[in-house]
Amino acid sequence: MRSVDATLPPVPGIASADVLIDRSARTRFRLGFDRAMGWLTPLLFLVAIVPILDMVYYVSLKAVPHLTWTIITGTNPYEANVYLGVPLYTTFYVIGLATAIAVALGLFGGIATAELLPEQWANAARTGANLLVGTPSIIIGYLGYLGFVLYFGWGPVFIAGVVTLSFFMTPYVFRTADLAFSSIPRHIREAALGSGAGPSQYIVRVGLPIAFPQVLTGVFLAMAIGIGETAPLVVTMQPGVLVPQNLFSPAKTLTMVIWENFQSPLAANQVLAFEAAFLLLVIVLALNVVVRVISARYQKRLEGLYQ
Amino acid sequence: MNAAAAPMGGPVMSVDHLTVTAKTKKVLLNDISLDFPPNSLTAVVGPSGCGKTTLVRSLNRMTELTPGLRVKGAVYYLGQNIYDRRVNPVLVRRRIGMVFQRPTVFPSSIYANASFGLRLVHEEEEKVDVAVRHALTRAGLWDEVKDDLDRPALSLSGGQQQRLCIARALAVEPRVLLMDEPSSALDPAATQRLEATMEHLKESMVLVLVTHNVGQAARVSDRVAFLHTGRLIEVGNTDEILERPKDPLTQQFITGRFL
Amino acid sequence: MLSYLRYSAIAPGLIPSGIIVAIVIALVFASKLTLLHNFFGFNWNPTLSWGIGAFVAGSFLTAIPALAFSMLIGLGLAVASTTYLPRLVASLLDPFVDLLAGIPSVIYGIWGFIVIGPYFGMTINPWLADHLRLIPWFGPPSGNTLGEGLPLAIFLLTLMALPITTLLIRDSLRAVPRDLWESGLALGATRWEVLRRVALPYARRGVMSAAFLGFGRAFGETVAVAMVFGSTAVIPSNFYGTGYTLAAAMFELVDSSYGNFQFLAVLTEMALVLLAISLAVNIIGRRLVIRLSTTEVAGV
Repeated sequence: MRSVDATLPPVPGIASADVLIDRSARTRFRLGFDRAMGWLTPLLFLVAIVPILDMVYYVSLKAVPHLTWTIITGTNPYEANVYLGVPLYTTFYVIGLATAIAVALGLFGGIATAELLPEQWANAARTGANLLVGTPSIIIGYLGYLGFVLYFGWGPVFIAGVVTLSFFMTPYVFRTADLAFSSIPRHIREAALGSGAGPSQYIVRVGLPIAFPQVLTGVFLAMAIGIGETAPLVVTMQPGVLVPQNLFSPAKTLTMVIWENFQSPLAANQVLAFEAAFLLLVIVLALNVVVRVISARYQKRLEGLYQ
Repeated sequence: MNAAAAPMGGPVMSVDHLTVTAKTKKVLLNDISLDFPPNSLTAVVGPSGCGKTTLVRSLNRMTELTPGLRVKGAVYYLGQNIYDRRVNPVLVRRRIGMVFQRPTVFPSSIYANASFGLRLVHEEEEKVDVAVRHALTRAGLWDEVKDDLDRPALSLSGGQQQRLCIARALAVEPRVLLMDEPSSALDPAATQRLEATMEHLKESMVLVLVTHNVGQAARVSDRVAFLHTGRLIEVGNTDEILERPKDPLTQQFITGRFL
Repeated sequence: MLSYLRYSAIAPGLIPSGIIVAIVIALVFASKLTLLHNFFGFNWNPTLSWGIGAFVAGSFLTAIPALAFSMLIGLGLAVASTTYLPRLVASLLDPFVDLLAGIPSVIYGIWGFIVIGPYFGMTINPWLADHLRLIPWFGPPSGNTLGEGLPLAIFLLTLMALPITTLLIRDSLRAVPRDLWESGLALGATRWEVLRRVALPYARRGVMSAAFLGFGRAFGETVAVAMVFGSTAVIPSNFYGTGYTLAAAMFELVDSSYGNFQFLAVLTEMALVLLAISLAVNIIGRRLVIRLSTTEVAGV
């Protein structure tokens, strides 16, 4: 026993009062459990990584051997079950137009909420956007179906799908724009407004340039999400074999191709579904990478601002 | 156990040629050696950035929480090197407790806070009750909370919370208590109470107090260690250091040049 | 002049809210809120009785287990990320979980149906049925060899809800003040003990929020479930059976409702039920965490 001041009573919990190397069962259990968790929990990442890799692997496996450039770009309407050119271009048209609308609505709304709206209205606006993000896509699809296809009488056509999809994408752009403008450092904002700029001048000349990367990220994000949507489109658009000729044509996107063909007993149709899935995956993953890259570069820029 | 290197019957803790380097190769502590005798309060003082917090955190292996810190040398607790590979930091920290700058009470009841360390080792209920009461008394908080221990700890004032943190650390009966500027978030009245508690505690254990306030060091400490840019410049009895410092750097600090 | 600009900004600001209101109006009108006889019953026979009980049951039967699994796994991942893994490794692995959120539902569906389904149908389900035969409803028969049924649906939904649960729990653990962590460790606790007794209780609200929002995600998922659950308007006969969820039914049956306004009215009432549950879960979940960060915008 050490000859240290012995006025302290023996201490609960460890084998002998002051020994630091403790082999009691309880302590070994505590330390062992912690160490075990240190191995187990990181292993869980496999739950995420393996499915992703498996998906990419299998979709590629089933699609790539059959894919040719002709198939990807061919638009022969009589062989609609072979060529993906039509769905591919249609997908771009749908997304392009839907993004334009979503940006128009979302950007205005987001900036208005961040800069112009009085507090209570701003909160209501943000709540609305948050709720819209969480709404199942099929419900927004129903809005499109009931409102555009039936009530407005457009029928199941291109424009119905586009506007419905844009409603789905708007809140993402909205929230990003709101966040981007709200997080502009106060001193910059006050400097601009203090030197006589009006709110709209501030927004256009100061705010937008600063917020641009973040807003762009939001736009690409919305696009990535929109491209992958099926339900709102299936419900509001009749599949067609041609690229949409006008706003009221039928239209079929890549996602719709997959939906139509995935259960088909015909092997050729299944192959088509996987080819479409492959293209879709490539596009979506590419967009995700773009989002990440812009995000990373934006971080560096923002750090400069805060000095 | 490094029995060969153990100074028996001597200081409770001693630091032996301790050097701590950061990931960036910057030397935070440079070859520090000092002893902490039983039943004493040692104040560790110095200008900002001198390494006093690093020193104190290396006394209970909290340095391991910062990635990239490399520790050379040894710290002996009752003759055992706490940095020995067979020793687990978890055990070290029961014997060498720590109190931080801000009161860091857990969001639960006063009783739950105080009994935290004991429940980790599944101590029996009656012993826990006794230990909690004992710890709260030693920390000078018992009278103020004894009527309702189930009150949320966050309902206490800042000074009371800090004393609860002390009680929490005391409940597992450490022989050493490390305090890193514990009164910096407190008002003068609470600080005074805290200092009274420290005076009371040092009669039965070793306290190591990091403070930037020389006046506080003068009031409560028995020994003072002065650090400057990672080096231990001088260490000795409080009176000697404060009135007759041997090193010019120490003198400059004491007379306020550095602050 | 300034206040004119401010107030005219109300319109664009409330666009998303407006869309939601439009949804509600459209649904209410279309359904004419005629709560038909036996609406919540279990008999689904288009043109005769409109019991949506099977769909509601299907939605809950798929979403709740999926939530449980994704919370468990998400908790583990968040813990690994914040506590056990070095910062660098964590920042390399975290994006994989977020990537799960970026994959379109149809792709989950086709992968689930064609690639994973047979494995469930021929290996996993029979194995489970065999080993769980003593528990009622979990024993044989083990469903069709394509694998369509609850287990496959739960599997997919777990993966789809995982990014949300992981992200929210991870964020709320990160928000625990450093001092508090260190105090716990300084008292001689292991990392696990600090997590369990200090950090997670502190982050309680974030964890609950993860549960609500994760549930909302699983409950509202349409396409992937429609592709693997079998589309039969019944409560699954046992754990391995096929069924329907509210969202999937709404999705697949719209076509056959064309021209039949009564059918459409029922579908839109189902939509109202789905919307109500979705909104409720969303509102509660968000109330618990009143803070918006860039990461949240991305996934949720």
